[in-house]
Amino acid sequence: MQKTILIVEDEFVIAMDLKVMLERQGWRVLGPVAGVANALRLLEDERPTVALLDVNLGDQLVTLVAEALRSRGVPFAVASAYDKPELVGGAVLAGVPNVGKPTSERNLLEVLAKLSTS
Amino acid sequence: MDLEDLYRILRTGHVQAQGIVDTVPDPMLVLDSALTVQSANRAFFRTFAVDRYDTIGQHLYELGNGQWDIPELRHLLGEVIPKSSAVMDYRVTHDFPQIGKKIMLLTARTVFNPDNVSHLMLLSIVDITERSRKEAEFEAVFGELRHRLKNVLGLVRALANQTKAEGISGEEYRKVFLGRLHAVADANDLAFSDHGEDSLEALVARATKPFQTTPETIIVEPGPPVALASKEIMSLSLLLHELATNAIKYGALSAPAGTVRIRWEVEQGDHPLLRLSWRESGGPPVRKPASTGYGTQLIKFAIAYNLGGQVEQKYRTEGFEAEIVVPLERAARPD
Repeated sequence: MQKTILIVEDEFVIAMDLKVMLERQGWRVLGPVAGVANALRLLEDERPTVALLDVNLGDQLVTLVAEALRSRGVPFAVASAYDKPELVGGAVLAGVPNVGKPTSERNLLEVLAKLSTS
Repeated sequence: MDLEDLYRILRTGHVQAQGIVDTVPDPMLVLDSALTVQSANRAFFRTFAVDRYDTIGQHLYELGNGQWDIPELRHLLGEVIPKSSAVMDYRVTHDFPQIGKKIMLLTARTVFNPDNVSHLMLLSIVDITERSRKEAEFEAVFGELRHRLKNVLGLVRALANQTKAEGISGEEYRKVFLGRLHAVADANDLAFSDHGEDSLEALVARATKPFQTTPETIIVEPGPPVALASKEIMSLSLLLHELATNAIKYGALSAPAGTVRIRWEVEQGDHPLLRLSWRESGGPPVRKPASTGYGTQLIKFAIAYNLGGQVEQKYRTEGFEAEIVVPLERAARPD
């Protein structure tokens, strides 16, 4: 079955890039979405294999999405410019793999592969 | 030497000593071995808002209703000082009843007086409350700047990755990529400088400038003032850049007499909207392209994705047109 990934990223150029890159690698992309409400709406309809989250979404944080994913048992990674995303986005982000920003393609694919097989 | 002379010598010595203590810019106390205040300088009275007569001759821990009876200070003077003759920059935080919370660096030094075999102690108190606040502020600003820098690099990486490289020369790729990079740099610059209500006007002027071969190439009609957030500036900057690039490649700006007219208005109401129009004329006859490239996708995405707006692109034979509608209130955004 094709693996699906939910992408939450508020910068449109980065969101577009991630979508194209992951689709080329055979992923089906849910979103990308720029904010919490749209992400939660997508999660109502479908349970993705994994998720990739930006932490700081302009004037809001991704925390609620991370909590929703955790309660549904969906593994996720963050793509954040913060060294310690949990200090900004809360305890739910502690210990979550951070693929960093700028995000290297190889690192991202490795982390996603690990998340989706665990 | 009579009594008069002796008094004069003592008095001169005292005046000199007091003069030295007063010259020190930071608060300073001279204590005897029983911790009674022998002398204090002006900076001390000023910083801690106390009076000379309530200070001199008092025991340190009884000063100002016991406000200097600080556990850390007791530890410093009672245990640290007897074992070493000097302590440098010992940090103490204390909430004073009158002047509030102070962060201080204490430096204490004992001075042995061979004449009467007694000890004096010099205690200087540097008030770093303001400095600490500024340092904390600086840390916060620096952290934010670092975060922004990484975000911008992420954006540049995405642009480089998304700019088409297939089937074109390295020179062509470089030209297209650098054009986009320039639009990002401009937007970044504008977002940092405060143009307030005139941000849209400043943005349009800046984004169109590289394409103004004659003053008539791109005509910007004066419009109402619109303040923009940094995200809007980034999206609109890239949008205008892509529109202008397309106009040079395929549209009105590919012909010498071609022009572009930009105008905008704000539709007031419960949900104010910005309507910006881009109208090309005087170029070669327009045909709708068979396939749309990354630039067109970028134009759509720039407005739709996080501004919750729309772009309508009309390929009219006499000239290409784009109508951009962006909600101006944040509540109307897809969050």
